[in-house]
Amino acid sequence: MTLISKSTNPTKNDKVHRVLLGKKQILVTEDEPLLIQLERAGIHVEYQCREGYCSSCSIKLLWGHVSYPFEPLAWVQSGYLLACCAIVKSDIEIAFFD
Amino acid sequence: MSYSTFNRKHFDSMKEPMFFGENVNVARYDQQKHPIFEKLIEKQLSFFWRPEEVDLSTDRKDFQRLEEHEQHIFLSNLKYQTLLDSVQGRSPNVALLPIVSLPELETWIETWSFSETIHSRSYTHIIRNIVNDPTKIFDDIVTNEEITKRADSVSIYYDRLIEMVNLYNTMGMGTFNVPGKGDIEISMPKLKKALYLTIASVNVLEAIRFYVSFACSFAFAERTLMEGNAKIIKLIARDEALHLTGTQHMLNLMASGKDDPEMAEIAAECQNEVRQIFIEAAEQEKEWATYLFKDGSMIGLNAQILGQYVEYITNVRMQAVGLETCFATKHNPIPWINAWLVSDNVQVAPQEAEISSYLVGQTDNNLDDSDFDDFDL
Repeated sequence: MTLISKSTNPTKNDKVHRVLLGKKQILVTEDEPLLIQLERAGIHVEYQCREGYCSSCSIKLLWGHVSYPFEPLAWVQSGYLLACCAIVKSDIEIAFFD
Repeated sequence: MSYSTFNRKHFDSMKEPMFFGENVNVARYDQQKHPIFEKLIEKQLSFFWRPEEVDLSTDRKDFQRLEEHEQHIFLSNLKYQTLLDSVQGRSPNVALLPIVSLPELETWIETWSFSETIHSRSYTHIIRNIVNDPTKIFDDIVTNEEITKRADSVSIYYDRLIEMVNLYNTMGMGTFNVPGKGDIEISMPKLKKALYLTIASVNVLEAIRFYVSFACSFAFAERTLMEGNAKIIKLIARDEALHLTGTQHMLNLMASGKDDPEMAEIAAECQNEVRQIFIEAAEQEKEWATYLFKDGSMIGLNAQILGQYVEYITNVRMQAVGLETCFATKHNPIPWINAWLVSDNVQVAPQEAEISSYLVGQTDNNLDDSDFDDFDL
């Protein structure tokens, strides 16, 4: 049997950022996209493709900075982020509907 | 003016707008004004699937065991889906190919339309499997008043654009009297407006109308009924999400003025009309929900819940194209739909069923000895 060892990852990023959502505050890392981390925190976010082409998980980005490891196929409006593939790069504030 | 299948003029296609510039001549993709459309083509091709791959034998038994009002819901929903894809399998080609000016967009339109024809073929596959006489169901699509009302609203903008482009291609600019229709004014702003409204109405069709029908299909599968059907709808939903992104890109590129400055003015002018297209479609879908559940609801879904979903999804889609939302429903009343819509679990273990996302030639030829360093034996 061949196994791929994944135990140590030297590139792992330990930076933690705050995500403000209304009165809630969630701590996220730069290791995974925002969507997975919001779901883990018990926040329901709409999704469909989870790979950046359907824009179902588009969320308002009120302030702060996110980046995309690859450019999503979906149109990302200015002032919004795509949660399924966005990596949070600073403290941010997000909102769903007005 | 008149359409040419191979435009002999020399021009720089990188400087053409998406629509109403020169007719495309060389189908070349080495240089692209909007590379996003090529990316959409690649994604769509990687999604290729065939309806016959999905086994529907248990659906037949399930269908026979449904109560009569549930059969009405299932069949009406299927008829509506058949109608929507009948329109989408041809209209982008007929309406948009004569006026498109970029090779990558032209090919995206053809790829998009082609994938809709697979959807149409899958409805026949489903209907053949659950009833003995498919003709009765197909015939009802053109006679049933509730369905034909839908047909009118999904085809009106396409038909108007096609009529105007036909006049433009034969007569050029001016005002022309068409028997039975009166005077029709053909000018570039009028043509562009007709185009913008058509794309907006296609966006509504793909973003709202389809999703309402998906909700019904998946509501059966939530009760472990008609699961083969749900598998097919899942594949269709994956394609539709991509088509939707395509039309959203077209709308946003037009509105931004980056593609054609005149189009930006028209988009701004049309904003109220586009808003109305969304709101009207939502109202029609709510009426449709009432018709579906007229003889009774089913576990997990009724006219009220589906109506709330219509409002919710309309809000989401309006926001996506930069419009103010207009309904009070801010939460998804049927959050379970996401688990059905998600495409990352479309790919199942090959021994279990059909493989849905198959990429050919995906081996990495660029391997080095050091790539095996972290392998433990």
